[in-house]
Amino acid sequence: MTVTVKTLNDIIAPPGAAASALATEEYFINMGPQHPIAHGSLRLVVRLDGETVREVIPVPGYVHRGLEKMAEHLSWRQIIHLTDRMDYLSALMNNWAVARTIEQAAGLATNPRIETIRTLMAELQRLQSHVLWWGVLGMDLGAFTPFLYGFREREVIGEIFEETIGARLTMNYIQPGGLMDDIHPDFVRKTKQVLAYLKPKIDEYDTLLSGNVILQERLRNIGVLPAARAIALGCTGPVLRASGVPYDLRKCEPYGVYAQADFDVPVGAKGDCWDRYCVRIEEMRQSIRIVEQLIDGIPDGPHATVKFGARIKVPEGIHYGQIETARGILGVTIAADGKSDAPYRLRLRSPNFSNLWAVTELARGWRIADIIAIQSTLDLVVPDIDR
Amino acid sequence: MARVNFKDTRKETRTLAGKPVPVVVTARFARRGRLAVFADGLKSLLSGMRLTFGYLARPSAIVTRQYPENRATLKLPERFRARLRLKFDEHGYQLCTACRLCERACPNASIRILTRPGTLSKNELDRYIWRLDSCVFCNACVQSCPFDALEMTGEFEHAVFDRRLLIFTLNRYAGPPAGVLLKEPDEAKRAAAMEPRDVYGGPVPLNGADLPSVKALAVRPQADPARQGAAPAPGVPA
Repeated sequence: MTVTVKTLNDIIAPPGAAASALATEEYFINMGPQHPIAHGSLRLVVRLDGETVREVIPVPGYVHRGLEKMAEHLSWRQIIHLTDRMDYLSALMNNWAVARTIEQAAGLATNPRIETIRTLMAELQRLQSHVLWWGVLGMDLGAFTPFLYGFREREVIGEIFEETIGARLTMNYIQPGGLMDDIHPDFVRKTKQVLAYLKPKIDEYDTLLSGNVILQERLRNIGVLPAARAIALGCTGPVLRASGVPYDLRKCEPYGVYAQADFDVPVGAKGDCWDRYCVRIEEMRQSIRIVEQLIDGIPDGPHATVKFGARIKVPEGIHYGQIETARGILGVTIAADGKSDAPYRLRLRSPNFSNLWAVTELARGWRIADIIAIQSTLDLVVPDIDR
Repeated sequence: MARVNFKDTRKETRTLAGKPVPVVVTARFARRGRLAVFADGLKSLLSGMRLTFGYLARPSAIVTRQYPENRATLKLPERFRARLRLKFDEHGYQLCTACRLCERACPNASIRILTRPGTLSKNELDRYIWRLDSCVFCNACVQSCPFDALEMTGEFEHAVFDRRLLIFTLNRYAGPPAGVLLKEPDEAKRAAAMEPRDVYGGPVPLNGADLPSVKALAVRPQADPARQGAAPAPGVPA
């Protein structure tokens, strides 16, 4: 069996067709690597017929830093800080994914306090991430006000993180065998304040943007992703759930203390841009629900069960762990040789990489402006694609 | 009655891989006549406008921080990680014993510790070099320190015109830590064991060294406010 690998050049200029390609009406446009809608350096090569999109060819790799290779030279604790820099909007969840895999592999036990704080932090960050997504979606589709409103709410949640963690973006908070620091004494009080502040704001979002007829017309029935295709493409997170598949690791394979919380999985009916939009708005409400249920019952205990200096022994073999970040499933595969203090090989299955390829199917047949709506509702974070 | 009622979500239970999953199906569009759609659209635009103009009328509801102007009152949380600092005790003696655990914990070699044979102890700190230009503020050094000799401070304004100014020598003197110094009763001997160290300078590339086609490094005295006050004054290169 032979496998033909298509390069970008083959797609743009098929052999022998070079002369006739000029005669057709189709043409190519580069969207990116520097483009206002590409939230990072992502290049989309778009084959157009007039303004109708015939094909979208994503060209990732502009933010590739080789995190997986770098991790082979760093100790188990040191690789955590690299994961902050993948999907920086769910940095804590990335920390958690790697820490949890190491804990599972090395057999490190945590306590209910650690797990509860981790869950709370992850949900707060999911909120923070979706709030920013909402603002940026508004800006992508031509409304600047939501962008400012989104950042206003993001800042409020960011202050909670700042107080407990000491950082705003690159957290490095959740570590194998515990947390970097215990929660700040003010954490519970402030979180409650923020929740009380956020709830009416999400209704405000509905008035300002969701109810807006222009936004509705730009999202409704655009870029429909059927459930079967979403699964086949490996889409996860809100993108998959908007297509009607209720696959959420928090519910299906509960980790942390999600099993204790009562929440629903938002799903869409059709799988178009509008459903992806509504699913995220509903996820914000569910996140608030989860935090509300857990915030009062943080159990007592130490914030770390493993001392920082202690050597973590990961037995030889391949270990896999996964959690649900704000954008989908982040899978971590660790191959350990059982001797050294570093992974022999680390492989990260990032949600954005799989979600990105949905754009190749969704955009076909739509207009240039619809690519923007589609890409915005896929909620891509480019450093997570390239790693 | 708007075209989409956001409260109109449907709760149901679906099965995924044999397990029941409680789901909430998000709202969809109701089928409506053209005139109603037009009226709804107009209403939605107006209600959005009312919200934004509401904020215009109530400026107190808007949070704007006048950053460079509010520097005097700007207070960062005490855990904020911005600039690494060596801790000194009330005599101005450092707590760092040059054990190199932080150097080993640092994920990208932003810390370099130089030691030398000492008079009061076998091995003492010569220079604690910290590269702000490559630091990722992961806090591993602070966490790894068994002597609690390091801390991250909230001093966040790092911009300088010369990148050589981003490589610091954190210790004020080369010499033994507080624990060793306090065992020595003779004050003169203690002072003799401590050799002042400047903020910039040392054998690390760029650390005080000249760059081709760049003017020699000139540092105004008291460039680092944290260093004023306590004990041995740093010798600052002209």
